[in-house]
Amino acid sequence: MKVELLAPAGDLDRLKIALLYGADAVYIGGTLFGLRANAVNFSLDDIKQGVIFAHNLKKKVYVTVNIVLHNKEVKLLIDYLKELEEIQVDAIIASDMTVINLAKKHTSLDVHMSTQQSTLNYESVAFAKKIGVTRVVLGRELSKEEIKEIKDKVDIELEIFIHGAMCASYSGRCVLSNYLTNRDANRGGCSQICRWDFDLYNENLEQIKGLKNFTFCSKDLSLLKYLKDIIEIGVTSLKIEGRMRSIYYIATVVSIYRKAIDAYYKGNYIYDELAEETLNRVANRDAIPQFFDGNYQENCSYYNNRIEISNQDFLGVVIDYDKDKKIATIEQRNYFKKGDVVEFFNYKQEVFTYKIEDIYDEDNNLIDIVRHPKQIVFLKTDFNLDINTLMRIKVDKSLNL
Amino acid sequence: MKTLIIPTTLAQTKLDCDGVIIGLKGLSVNMPNYFDITDLKKIKNKEIFICLNKNMHNNELKLLEETLIKLNDYPIKGVLFYDFAIPNLKDKLNYDLVWNQEHMTNNYYTINYLKELGINYTFVSSDITLREMQEIKQNSTSKLLVTLFGYLPLFTSKRPLVNNYLKTFNLKDTAKTNYLEKEGHLYPIVSDDQTVLYSDFILDGLKESLELNYDYMVLNSFKIEPSLFEKVLKIFKEVNIDNIDDKNKLLNNLIPNLKKGFFYEETVYKVK
Repeated sequence: MKVELLAPAGDLDRLKIALLYGADAVYIGGTLFGLRANAVNFSLDDIKQGVIFAHNLKKKVYVTVNIVLHNKEVKLLIDYLKELEEIQVDAIIASDMTVINLAKKHTSLDVHMSTQQSTLNYESVAFAKKIGVTRVVLGRELSKEEIKEIKDKVDIELEIFIHGAMCASYSGRCVLSNYLTNRDANRGGCSQICRWDFDLYNENLEQIKGLKNFTFCSKDLSLLKYLKDIIEIGVTSLKIEGRMRSIYYIATVVSIYRKAIDAYYKGNYIYDELAEETLNRVANRDAIPQFFDGNYQENCSYYNNRIEISNQDFLGVVIDYDKDKKIATIEQRNYFKKGDVVEFFNYKQEVFTYKIEDIYDEDNNLIDIVRHPKQIVFLKTDFNLDINTLMRIKVDKSLNL
Repeated sequence: MKTLIIPTTLAQTKLDCDGVIIGLKGLSVNMPNYFDITDLKKIKNKEIFICLNKNMHNNELKLLEETLIKLNDYPIKGVLFYDFAIPNLKDKLNYDLVWNQEHMTNNYYTINYLKELGINYTFVSSDITLREMQEIKQNSTSKLLVTLFGYLPLFTSKRPLVNNYLKTFNLKDTAKTNYLEKEGHLYPIVSDDQTVLYSDFILDGLKESLELNYDYMVLNSFKIEPSLFEKVLKIFKEVNIDNIDDKNKLLNNLIPNLKKGFFYEETVYKVK
């Protein structure tokens, strides 16, 4: 069985991009009960549309129902779960035992145990199986050997995170956001206090001062380097973090892992350092293997010297293409201008390099600069472009997707 | 309500309380001290709860199982757990289990479901309102514990975060407890093989102890000077509806850094 590539999607557009660019499944949050309360999220109608879109491609949709419930929230839950069942989502992702219990009692939904439970050992996984969970999303604090031991000892689907941001704490075991900003971390309101700076003091309240301030902040996770090992462990699903991320991020990360997974099954997988650089560039943050290779010491931390200047590589999306006239309709995402050398990349893993010459606006005026967010412009190209092809600035090294 | 304390020293287990919650070396986290299992023999005439609340890894399961089985021979009331590895071993144990996922024990539905699975006690979260705590009591038949005094753990990580910082900037400090400061607030941070950050305040549930009809109130001695802790314990033992104002004043005079946590304040999670 080929390993599943599971991507995040914050809304319907991102769901489509994730699936078109190579994800086998997406996980999404509804407007209720998900841990990204401040993402756009999916109405029930959006979920339905997303499921139809995915199922037409023979792909899957999982819905997060992974908040930690308070008394009053449970009342709405059964109806919501029944609606998800009716829409035919492929599974829900839950951390509160009540969600698991009610889903098993009142629906036929598959239930995946959320990483919020920080499941890190085979006895816990066995417990999850006992209560009817069909898949466990393991905690991110596990090494390769630990994951393998769990896989060997319990016959259940396992999902692991392979890419994206990390909680500095055990997932579910942090309420800094609650106490410092009144926003409930375990109900989708996390305000990422782990990225704040603090001053560190010793027991005598004398400051211990390094070149930078103390922070909990961790580098991101990237397991591209270990993809072969991960597949060979036999886990079911490889998960990319980031339901709040842009379509460019999702398209880029999904494409890279899709290409690597397909290469593995064709027997020609080679770790691609350029692809790793691209992953770092698209996130503007360093990403490392973290606990997977057992190295989670000081090299995992960021001390406010992280480079998080907004990445402006992503220039636009092809929203239409007239094959007869060879005119692409582009919706702008970042500033670009006449003379820029850009790349179009699509879900077929094709890359077209192109020097921008004539740019026309919607009134057919010739313009030199495209500076307005979501501005519609027209470019003439010698090659055909599919809808949802993305346009990015060409950097010195090929992005090699 | 019976009074349980989380002691820093074995000597504190002799204080005037109904029981104690004890952390054990290698299997506990967020505790002011970690004892050896043989120390349990030194605790007399108290209800003893053992807190094995680490997130367990495969290589800790052998020690965990051995310890759980050894505890069958001790006169303990129950074991507090975070990791569901422990309920999975429940059939081998002759004592009760206490669901103690400190930020997740927030609703009575889950408490009741776990009771169906044979988990008869819950240590209720401090992150919910007093009203929600009362609703839990009204709608659950489990035995309930709740913290009414002490610093609250806010963050637990496998990462040795203070050591990482010291190493990165070539600094030296051997303290087990440090402090983080932000906007005038000081948060105790303990970093040994894991990292735990505590609240910048000490939870004060004195008045609330009269309103919550739970089975156990828990007083945590972490970072409280022992003679003060003894006085605090006495106040909580003696408080009643008639003397609450005096006891409240007394407590506030003893401990300057008291707050009510989320007793009267709801968290939000959708920012408009």
